[in-house]
Amino acid sequence: MKISQVKVCVLRIEGTNCEEEMFLSFKRLGAKPEKVHLKQLTGTDVTPEEKRSLSDYHILALPGGFSAGDYVRAGAIFAARMKSRLSEDLVDFVKSGKPVLGICNGFQILVELGLLPAMSGVMSDVPEAVLGTNDSARFECRPTLLKKVNRGSCVFTTKIPVDKISMIPSAHAEGKLMFSMENQTKILKELEDNDQIVFKYVDPEGSIAGYPWCPNGATDNIAGICNREGTVFGMMPHPERVFFRYSHPDWTRNPDGPGDGRAFFESALEYASKKL
Amino acid sequence: MTASRLYARRDVPFELTDINLTDATDEELMDISSESGTGLSLDEMHRVKEYFIGKGRDPTDVELQSIGQAWSEHCCYKSSKVFLKEYVFGINTRQVIDRGDAGVMEFDRDHAYALRVESHNHPSAVEPYGGAATGIGGIIRDVLCMGAQPIALVDPLYFGPLDLPFNKLPPGIKHPKYLFSGVVAGIRDYGNRVGLPTVSGGVWFDDGYIGNCLVNVGCVGIADKKDIRRNAVKGPGDILVLVGGRTGRDGIHGVTFASAVLTKESETESRGAVQLGDPITKEPVIHAVLEANERGLINGMKDLGGGGLSCVVGEIALSGGCGADVELSKVPLKEDGLAPWEIWVSESQERMMLSVSPKNLEDLLHVFKKWDALATPVAKVIPEKVVRLIFQGTKVFDVELEFLTEGPLYCRPCSIASEKRPRKERHPKAKQRYDRELLKLLSTPNICSKEWVIRQYDHEVRANTVIKPMQGKIGHWSHGDASVMKPVEESFRGLAIATASNPYAVGIDPYRGGKTCVDEVCRNLVAVGARPHSMTDCLNFGNPEKPDRLWMFREAVKGIGEVAKALNIPIPSGNVSFYNESQTGAVLPTPTIMGCGIVRDIRKCVTSDLKDEGNIIAIIGTTSPEMGASSYYRMTKNWSKNVPDVDIASLKAGIDVVVGGIERGAIVSCHDISDGGLAAALAEMCIGGDVGCEVDLTKLGDMRNDAKLFSESNSRWLVELRKGKEKLMPKDRKAKMTKIGSVQGDSLLISSSDRTLIELGTDRIAKSFNEPLWRLMG
Repeated sequence: MKISQVKVCVLRIEGTNCEEEMFLSFKRLGAKPEKVHLKQLTGTDVTPEEKRSLSDYHILALPGGFSAGDYVRAGAIFAARMKSRLSEDLVDFVKSGKPVLGICNGFQILVELGLLPAMSGVMSDVPEAVLGTNDSARFECRPTLLKKVNRGSCVFTTKIPVDKISMIPSAHAEGKLMFSMENQTKILKELEDNDQIVFKYVDPEGSIAGYPWCPNGATDNIAGICNREGTVFGMMPHPERVFFRYSHPDWTRNPDGPGDGRAFFESALEYASKKL
Repeated sequence: MTASRLYARRDVPFELTDINLTDATDEELMDISSESGTGLSLDEMHRVKEYFIGKGRDPTDVELQSIGQAWSEHCCYKSSKVFLKEYVFGINTRQVIDRGDAGVMEFDRDHAYALRVESHNHPSAVEPYGGAATGIGGIIRDVLCMGAQPIALVDPLYFGPLDLPFNKLPPGIKHPKYLFSGVVAGIRDYGNRVGLPTVSGGVWFDDGYIGNCLVNVGCVGIADKKDIRRNAVKGPGDILVLVGGRTGRDGIHGVTFASAVLTKESETESRGAVQLGDPITKEPVIHAVLEANERGLINGMKDLGGGGLSCVVGEIALSGGCGADVELSKVPLKEDGLAPWEIWVSESQERMMLSVSPKNLEDLLHVFKKWDALATPVAKVIPEKVVRLIFQGTKVFDVELEFLTEGPLYCRPCSIASEKRPRKERHPKAKQRYDRELLKLLSTPNICSKEWVIRQYDHEVRANTVIKPMQGKIGHWSHGDASVMKPVEESFRGLAIATASNPYAVGIDPYRGGKTCVDEVCRNLVAVGARPHSMTDCLNFGNPEKPDRLWMFREAVKGIGEVAKALNIPIPSGNVSFYNESQTGAVLPTPTIMGCGIVRDIRKCVTSDLKDEGNIIAIIGTTSPEMGASSYYRMTKNWSKNVPDVDIASLKAGIDVVVGGIERGAIVSCHDISDGGLAAALAEMCIGGDVGCEVDLTKLGDMRNDAKLFSESNSRWLVELRKGKEKLMPKDRKAKMTKIGSVQGDSLLISSSDRTLIELGTDRIAKSFNEPLWRLMG
């Protein structure tokens, strides 16, 4: 399949607010993204022309924002609405090897849905992790440096060399990735063994570091994880905000080259065009 | 005393009262005014009385309330209009596309941008979180209803000192720290949730704001020119559709509350005047409005702000030369049992009025349903310029629009306050070294790093913010002068946004102070490589019924208008906020200016952080010992009347030299010189670049060293020139460029006439600059 045939569903509900830049990141590379309201998939309040089916798309992207206000818990309401109406479609989508991306609020939704970390099966019944309130107890909008630790499974990062440090900005209040206390060691080891850990927050030297380099206090500085197959991927920082160099915070010092976020979308589209 | 004998309750199943003005004495007229909470003056009550005698009947409570809203200072600018007309209206109208709820300017051939800034002071002083949040909501709607997609927010804020001892807090007043945290949280939670970046602003702390903090909010939007709409109906037959939130008892009498002085009872009496915000109602409304507008389903629209329905219906209809028949019972309510007058004047948030052709109504309602946003047809546009309200079958309101909207205009007395003794000039002693003074200046709350605030706001959602509010090497941030948005996907043209104010200068010399504010906003825009293109202002002053307060206002407006006119920069929108007073007196006279500038190619923009060792540092502009209102004098408790003036020829030349130098690639970093003077500006450039510099100020001329270091003379910039490209700098003798040193080492070293004035490690100045706000706020 050509990249120009890859259809991307950029899914939104009320309060989703990073869909435009997500949409543009796929569009700029020649793919066919579409901003789709969840109601268009469930068929509520829409005309026949507006109705869509998840299976029509090759990539599902959940953008950032504050879906449904993030009341209750970040991403919980969006996830509940999807789970109640689209569970089967979602499982089929993932089973067929189609990539799913969740950024920021999208990551929170994937965790609430049970699509990540998906320790057993495609979608767990209850969440196996949580994105808790930042240690600073504040919303943190700041540049963060991510070291790629994934050894090759994740289809969204194949074009990023291992150990490379990318500047991908964060902007969230609930991004502290945590696992259940009693199983934490076991889960971390499993994630490691399965090559599910994709990025860690580091300082400019590439070392694991505390606040502000790690903006939220996440377990083991983990910024992003994928499922065992590497097709479902979620992270707190926003690659779609740094598609171009000139949206890096320090680009006037280093103006040349693409933005560090571009490679995420290139990787996913390459995978989709070759494997689907 | 009460005027109850004049009230006649109508026999209907809801609350409706006829008010007998004909038989009312003057005293009773004033009782009616205060009992109804409308705040109308005796003259105004007489006008209302005569109007209804002419109609041969008594007004209903709905009518009286509506007039009270329409004629409030907040809605009709009755005290300020005469001065605004004289000094700021009508500048360079050729470039102005529209001046409605927001001003609309040309961005490029196919696009326009909309801008506005306004105040939400009184609500924020009573309920900081809700007040600030709803301020954001309102300003977004102002931009949205021009047909523009909002793309950026700005938030200039003014509070009392954060470390104010509690025993110095006047009764009924909330502590500045509480207000500051509440306001920042309100802006954060609303702005972030609604998905708009907060890119510029400022925080000022002064005793003058203890009794009445100021919360100004601004918004900028972008639109295809074809999608721009007026705040007007197209013509008779249009349907008025109320969209967004439900109407409730929150926000009743917001405008009359805003048009009075705060008292210690404000908390208990006016809590109900503060509306509640709900960004997750607003966010889908934005989507739905933009989608419907793009499909051509909307003829015109207007935000429900001050005065609620009572103001919006009349204004949107009259702007199209029409009137309206309103079915008031159709308005969706938060709770049952609201009286018609409450529904009519409530300022509940998240509401807009759309004017729609009947053939498009069904499609429009579908768009809103898809987004789960309420949309309810409530009125029909009629050819006669009159508004009539029917509530449950009873006519409760019937007033000619020209009477309603033609509020009174005043030319109130204004005169300079008579000082018993003119204040004495007081100057500091000259010193050998100024290391301690600089460190202390950098850690004053007005100058120190605002990172604590800035990083709580998402400043890059939508991914259009190409020059950000914090600038520098990763991990070494300093303040930028302006932010730059890249609003059009297929173009590298940028829109720079900056805010400025100098309440201290305005307080000492309002005319020069007003000029200084405009100079500063221009300097900020120019420092990133933008040409100033338009401005909007929010003028926060005290009680205009006091001649000295109004004099301050007039002089400041005169100064603002004079510089804007000379630079040919239009002011297509603006806002006046009077009555910013409490028991502790008036606030500092505070004109907030938001400026927008055009960047031809954002890839040429520069930031304030120093880049490379070996590059030359130069100052553009002339330094004079104008120490009045300077941060240095205020910190050292000295005083001078000599506030910086603006030399318009130098400002113009400076703009051309700096923008030219940036566009030609000669300038690699630039910072305007303002609070704390040259020394503070240079320190900030070192902090962002995590590097030192060595400069010699001998060539600045013959004046005291503290003036060289800390003077805040206008129209000046510090620039870092790229090695080998210095010759590309444009030359103009009216904006002299003086080379003063170079980027090198890891200390800030300033000397003059072979004497070291300051020598401090960059780490040390960074610490003084970065820590204070974190320490104060935790």
